[in-house]
Amino acid sequence: MSHLFRSVSLGLFLCLGLLLISWWNLFAWSVVPVSGADVLHAFTSFNDQSIAHRIVLDLRLPRLLTALLVGACLASAGTIMQGLTRNPLAAPSVLGVNAGAALGMALVSTLPFLYGALSTSIAAMLGGGVAWLLVMLLGSAWRVGANEHGRLVLAGVAISALCAALTKAVVIMEEDQAAGVMTWLAGSLADARWQKWQTFWPVASISLIGALGLAPSLNVLQLGEDNARNLGINLLRSKLFGSLLVLMLVGAAISAVGSIGFVGLIVPHIARLMFGQDFRLCLPVAMIIGALLVTLADTLSRAVTYPMETPAGAILALIGAPFFIYLVRKRTL
Amino acid sequence: MSLSAHQLSVGYHGHTIVKKMDLTLPDGRFIALLGPNGCGKSTLLKCFARILPAMSGEVNWQGQNLHHYPSKQLAKALALLPQTQPIPEGIKVKDLVAYGRSPYTGFWGKLSTQDHQIVEQMMQQTGTYELRDQLVSELSGGQRQRVWLAMVLAQDTPYLLLDEPTTYMDINHQVELMHQLQALNKQGKTIITVLHDINQAARYCDHLVVMKAGELKYQGSPEEVLTSAMLKDVFSLSAQIHQDPVSGTPMCVVED
Repeated sequence: MSHLFRSVSLGLFLCLGLLLISWWNLFAWSVVPVSGADVLHAFTSFNDQSIAHRIVLDLRLPRLLTALLVGACLASAGTIMQGLTRNPLAAPSVLGVNAGAALGMALVSTLPFLYGALSTSIAAMLGGGVAWLLVMLLGSAWRVGANEHGRLVLAGVAISALCAALTKAVVIMEEDQAAGVMTWLAGSLADARWQKWQTFWPVASISLIGALGLAPSLNVLQLGEDNARNLGINLLRSKLFGSLLVLMLVGAAISAVGSIGFVGLIVPHIARLMFGQDFRLCLPVAMIIGALLVTLADTLSRAVTYPMETPAGAILALIGAPFFIYLVRKRTL
Repeated sequence: MSLSAHQLSVGYHGHTIVKKMDLTLPDGRFIALLGPNGCGKSTLLKCFARILPAMSGEVNWQGQNLHHYPSKQLAKALALLPQTQPIPEGIKVKDLVAYGRSPYTGFWGKLSTQDHQIVEQMMQQTGTYELRDQLVSELSGGQRQRVWLAMVLAQDTPYLLLDEPTTYMDINHQVELMHQLQALNKQGKTIITVLHDINQAARYCDHLVVMKAGELKYQGSPEEVLTSAMLKDVFSLSAQIHQDPVSGTPMCVVED
């Protein structure tokens, strides 16, 4: 009973935290002064003449919603990857998906013969998918043994570096597009608008629901492949479905706000630490924590160099890099 | 109805271990797979449990190739306890045993009242009920083996495949396990187990299958199979066969 009580109170605490940070995100560090009360009034008694109300509803709200959903997508992508590979270091940014998706988007948005041929989110998914496939093949990830964890990460680092180099080359060749691509590579929510939100939320929501559906299979997969097969899991189908979900989640997030790393790496660990190993519990919790973390990073991204903006991706890297080092040192690779 | 292999070859990385084997395992029996190390007992068992694909030939069940059945349906028919098991992190005994019910669970892995009852019953049967709130990773090797056994039993399948289930167990737990398996067999389950101890096999099992170098050499009742000639042929061992004074089953005693 005390275990249930602990889980419920932790869950309520998280939801409350999410609500408060969302509220704070809607008014904090605005060039035109917006107060916390303005935010509430914008929802309850909207005044067309009030600039503060308009900022909240037209600029801040789509930005907040995008941050929440991006956080949930990246965190659940990381959770699924760690579950599928049974590797605590697996995450979209570590295993090359982010860098591949970035390359895919850089290619379609700069090269004239590709421009308009593919939508940016499809390009991001394709790029991420190809990069991930290469990492998996190089790291022989489908045959998991304790000493192959390091190999998979090394393959991820190598492919990420290759993709990053190619992305830079593409950007240099097409200089007039460079500034836009660079901002986007750093991952920023500054350009999140209602228009983008409309194409982002359906893909993201469907993928998140799909991710929840995968949770029971991920649980059984943690017992090892032989046991999973023995317990009636169709391994090939689960892995294909899981990989497709990861690509949709990461592709949607990256095409909405650019390349944001470390959420997918850190959040699954926090969720497991708080709520244990059951994916049916820690996957939805990871979504909430991911949403919370990205929203917090977005809020801070406006504060660090106010009134200028720092990309949220940079803020997350500041938190994420030390955590990554901690994980590497804690678990012998 | 029974499980059978037809011209079955199985192996790893292009290396054939079980060679063109024809074997029918009779239903409702307590079957022991015997043979020297590396003869392919475990490999054969894994193929029967569809963990390893056949290189050629096939495994049939109810007259159809095993690999044509959907995964869930097979998981309700055949359960395998592998020889070595991973040590899952952060999973409690009761949760691990409950995973045995996964082929039956409803929406989102929800356990029914009946599932909970079976899980509890299997923990009691294997003597792991007292450990239910402990982490699997904190148990001893023998305790962990019994927890995995409870999980496989919770799968509630008519066929039970075990790969050296008595490894890591104290002698009292070994005997207890063999009695349990006998009782399960009486309830109608077909039990197929790899065993190292020939006398244990002859005492508790009612059908022995002896392999050597990937081929089937002998099969039949313990009285038919356990002979000096078989031990000489398969294990290159000189031994006398006596009658077990307690159970009356054949028993081998090694000569100098």
